[in-house]
Amino acid sequence: MDRRLVDWIWFGTLWVLLTAVGEFLVLGLDLLPARWSAEADVVDDAYILLMALAVPIFAGVAAALFVSLVRFRVQVDGIPTEDGPPVHTNRRVVRLWLASTLMLALMVTVNPGFIGLAELRGEPSADLVVEVQAQRWSWKVTYPDGAETWNQLYLPADQRVRFDITSLDILHSFWIPAFRVKLDAVPGRTTSLYVTPEGIGSFDDDFNLRVQCAEICGLGHSNMAMPVTVLEADEFDAWLNDLAEGA
Amino acid sequence: MRQLLRAVIFGIVGYLTGAMLTWLVRGGSLGDEVCVVFGYVVGLVGWLFGIGMGDTWVREWFGRPAREQEEIGWKRYLGFSTDHKVIGIQYMATFLVVLLLGGVAAMVMRIELAQAGEGILSADRYNQVMSMHGILMIAVAVAAILGSFGNYLVPIMIGADDMAFPRLNAVTFWLIPPVAIGLLAAPTLGSFDTGWTAYPPLSVINNSGQILFVLAVTTFGLSSILGGLNVVTTIVTMRAPGMTWGRLPIFVWAAFSASVLSLLVTQFFAASLILIAMDRVAGTVFFDGGAGGDPLLYQHLFWFYSHPAVYVMVLPGFGVVLEVITHMARKPLFAYRAAVVSLLTIAGMSVIVWAHHMFTSGMAGYLHGPFMFATEMISVPTGVIFLSAVATLWQGRLWVKTPLLFAMIWVFQFLMGGVTGIFLADVATDVQLHDTYFVVAHFHYTIMGGMLFAFLAGIFFWFPKITGRMINDRLGIVFALWLTVSFQLTFLPQFWLGTNGMNRRIADYPEQLEGANMFSSMSAFLLGGSFLLLVYILISGARRGPVAGDNPWNASTLEWQVSSPPPGHNFPGQPRILEHPYRYGTAGSRHAEMVGVASTHEETVPGTGVREGGDNG
Ligand SMILES: [Cu+2]
Ligand SMILES: [Cu+2]
Repeated sequence: MDRRLVDWIWFGTLWVLLTAVGEFLVLGLDLLPARWSAEADVVDDAYILLMALAVPIFAGVAAALFVSLVRFRVQVDGIPTEDGPPVHTNRRVVRLWLASTLMLALMVTVNPGFIGLAELRGEPSADLVVEVQAQRWSWKVTYPDGAETWNQLYLPADQRVRFDITSLDILHSFWIPAFRVKLDAVPGRTTSLYVTPEGIGSFDDDFNLRVQCAEICGLGHSNMAMPVTVLEADEFDAWLNDLAEGA
Repeated sequence: MRQLLRAVIFGIVGYLTGAMLTWLVRGGSLGDEVCVVFGYVVGLVGWLFGIGMGDTWVREWFGRPAREQEEIGWKRYLGFSTDHKVIGIQYMATFLVVLLLGGVAAMVMRIELAQAGEGILSADRYNQVMSMHGILMIAVAVAAILGSFGNYLVPIMIGADDMAFPRLNAVTFWLIPPVAIGLLAAPTLGSFDTGWTAYPPLSVINNSGQILFVLAVTTFGLSSILGGLNVVTTIVTMRAPGMTWGRLPIFVWAAFSASVLSLLVTQFFAASLILIAMDRVAGTVFFDGGAGGDPLLYQHLFWFYSHPAVYVMVLPGFGVVLEVITHMARKPLFAYRAAVVSLLTIAGMSVIVWAHHMFTSGMAGYLHGPFMFATEMISVPTGVIFLSAVATLWQGRLWVKTPLLFAMIWVFQFLMGGVTGIFLADVATDVQLHDTYFVVAHFHYTIMGGMLFAFLAGIFFWFPKITGRMINDRLGIVFALWLTVSFQLTFLPQFWLGTNGMNRRIADYPEQLEGANMFSSMSAFLLGGSFLLLVYILISGARRGPVAGDNPWNASTLEWQVSSPPPGHNFPGQPRILEHPYRYGTAGSRHAEMVGVASTHEETVPGTGVREGGDNG
């Protein structure tokens, strides 16, 4: 058989094989933490789609490198005096490559890009508005009737919550890993974030049900976190009543 | 040595003069930041005069002859030399040392992070070590390839006898030691703890070490701008007859595009740092949200430089890798023109993507879409570089020595960095991943993978040219594999950590994440250990390696047509460029006609591999 054909067969086989293994790992293994909000589904879908698209690209280049290393390697004593073929750049290959990478980039920009962005943002309407104030190194949470908690966040399940976030001193960042949402707390500004918690649980069930400061803020930055508890809507109302009365 | 001693004395005297005068005028204490600022500025000027700037320009301004006395032997490397080859080596040695220092800081961090809870460092101390690691490594990434190979190779590759502004070049290098001293002296004023990004308001209200950070990094920026100016001017004006733009070696194109960037955008970083210095010492409120300032303004200015800075780091890396691949696969560089256009396009596009670092910053929502779009589009020209690298390897005759191995691993590493970058360009996934260990892993693949691996490929490739001696190739291959494997083991778990709830820049983390952290730390020590082997390889190669000859790789570009190391002023006579540099496999092709030296590039007949005579140098 033509040697060049064999090179391509090697490459093709390896590409398919690596892609298959890669896709199996990406789609088969659950590499992502538990999802506790509607937004988490959007983020994780985007994540998985991007991984699924990345695998064949990655496998292709890896296969080409590996085949090159094995098939085109030569042993040379002293300095090499033989050259490879004087290949002229095939413009069609370049154009094809440009067209396909451009297509791929546009595809990814549309989905998950713009579509994910729109889904994540959703409607600017909320069932509940919670104010969050960050300061070194603690969180103050204020509920609609003025009741406050420090370093504790309680939320009702299946209700769309808007967080109005600000900071008293320097930059902090309001991150709930289990919800897949993050937004900076900026002094002098109020930033807003929507999230719909799903499922009943607390920090004791999943350590990612926590608000973690994700913008370096000095000494207590690592431990600037508060547990999140998601309750049934009626339980949440009862809890909020107790809190308001106790205050 | 005399110059260096004088520079140290002038620097110290300058610092004291500046600080004391300020203190006399305004009272307070000598340790106040205003005194530090003026002390540093006067000290910096003193340092430059001491090292030899005054002996040339300043004497000429006053109508007196310049006094240029270069020392000889190894002492040249410790003095004010205007020889681009000396400066290239000064850069390389300096930044290898800084790289090792930054590496030690990384090891300390990984010891702390191996286990949850407080270990060997307090939270404060951890933040300081982390910030030091960050800024040292960023400095290495920005200047190592451009400073060493940019200086050493660009003039030779284009057939020039030196850079366009040799004295400015020396000043550019001698601005670096004050940067290192400033950064390393920061602990005396309480250090800095903001990471290398220095976001206000934290960077306005923290310890006084931050002011030294601001001064040092601004100085570094000045050095970058001057270096960029010099490289651009050299390439535009100093090309040998026949060296048309279409015949420039790809590394020269890469150095050109990176230098244009550092010439044009570094100012924004310097400006943002100067605003911080003013907020600290002059009572302004540029970044004070409570007083009408805006912390986000800093982030826009900062990333307007710092995203392109990533390309100042990796574009020269692209050049090194493509250069090594075409010579060692012994094939013409595939898609040379498209690669050149891509380098320039990447440089151009890199200034319109900065806000992808700010998707969670609270900036206006309408900015998300455009910046996501622009960022995704930059993958198209970057893809051309991959095509060029892989297609050049394909059907080549690969001479798998350490440089080629590093170049091939580079393709893998940078692809990993690029692909994971898409997750950070996409708003939905970035909202979760921003400021987590996913980002940490991503930029180590991009910067360490994209810049450091290229730097190493370059060191192993040009070592024979620079020292005249060959490096131990077996050990080189052991080093390459050791580094690569331990790199994957260190950073792959960090992708998982980031996705699973570990944010970056923390001294402590939830104990559920301990296993992966311990694994990453152990691998990191393995990675750190590999650099001891590198040090051994370089030192033993330089001292005892076999003599290399002029052209040990039988490569075509100009630097291989002169002796190793090249003579002063590079060429005995003016070379004339005849054709494109990478015409491997074409009978009778010759990149250049040398005057006074025989060509050392042996010509071959295409396909058959039969050598067609050729004048052996
Ligand atoms: Cu914080
Ligand atoms: Cu960027």
